[in-house]
Amino acid sequence: MEHREDLTRYRVSRGLSFLLLTIITLSLCARVGGAAAVTQAQLSSANEEILSAFASVSGAERSGGNVSSLDAKLNDAITLVQDAEEVNATNPARAAADLQNATAVAQSVVAESASAKQAGGSVRQATEATSLSAASAIVVVAALIYLLGGRVYRKAWLRLYRDYVVRPANG
Amino acid sequence: MDKETAGIALALVTVLAVFAAIQPLLPANNEPFSELGVLGPNQTIGGYPASVSAGSPFLLYGYIGNHEGASSFYQLLVKVGNQTTQVSNSTYASAPVIFTYSHVLGNNQSTIFPLNLTLSDQGTNVRLIFELWSYNVTSSSYGYTGLWNQLLLNVTSPQ
Repeated sequence: MEHREDLTRYRVSRGLSFLLLTIITLSLCARVGGAAAVTQAQLSSANEEILSAFASVSGAERSGGNVSSLDAKLNDAITLVQDAEEVNATNPARAAADLQNATAVAQSVVAESASAKQAGGSVRQATEATSLSAASAIVVVAALIYLLGGRVYRKAWLRLYRDYVVRPANG
Repeated sequence: MDKETAGIALALVTVLAVFAAIQPLLPANNEPFSELGVLGPNQTIGGYPASVSAGSPFLLYGYIGNHEGASSFYQLLVKVGNQTTQVSNSTYASAPVIFTYSHVLGNNQSTIFPLNLTLSDQGTNVRLIFELWSYNVTSSSYGYTGLWNQLLLNVTSPQ
């Protein structure tokens, strides 16, 4: 009688262990297979975001903005997309995260391009104003030298040599 | 120095000074160009493989330089062609692309990057064609820069 109870307890315990193992295995499979592979459309969309960001960067650069840091960020985004393509078959969750990060980086580049464009515009205006002012000043000074240079030179010469005693060469 | 000579000298100096003052307003690069190079496994212009095994990866390096006067979005395409594949400075090759590399370069910047390539099919004098494309913001599309390079390879059976 006691032997039979032990046998039943053993069978129940074995059944529960098997059930537990099955549940754990299924949950692990569900986790691995849960992340769907990144689609070609998602990759294209991320690439489009990067190209759009590059267009913003180009606009900012044309306005005189310093875009070297934005170029570096775009390269980071490109690397993330390339990584997503490489790991898509083996690690779709990482590929999806890479694409998400790439899109976020591209969007931040678009946002920063606006301020770079504005800063570049101000710098360019200042540079233009400085250059044109310098050129105008040079022309004005040259005109003054041409018109008044001789008179000013002679006055300065006289002031410099007013106490000079003139002696005859053979005296 | 007579008055005429002094006037001419003054005018000359004035023109030079004005030219120097407006330098920041002039375009930085009057002859824009890009550069494309293919380097061997030691990142030198040499040591290129003459023969590779089908299915086995081999390493080369690419070099891209930007002197366009502005940032450029480059794309390097590696294509596999044969003796009849047409490619020139104006025509890009109609051949399958086996590798793509994209990079943004600022003006007067260059980059060297690895090209991990694998050829799947055997063949003699297989042409590995390297083409440089750049993204045109105005047309929103990639355009062929006319820069290309090639490497002739014998692709042997897998070892």
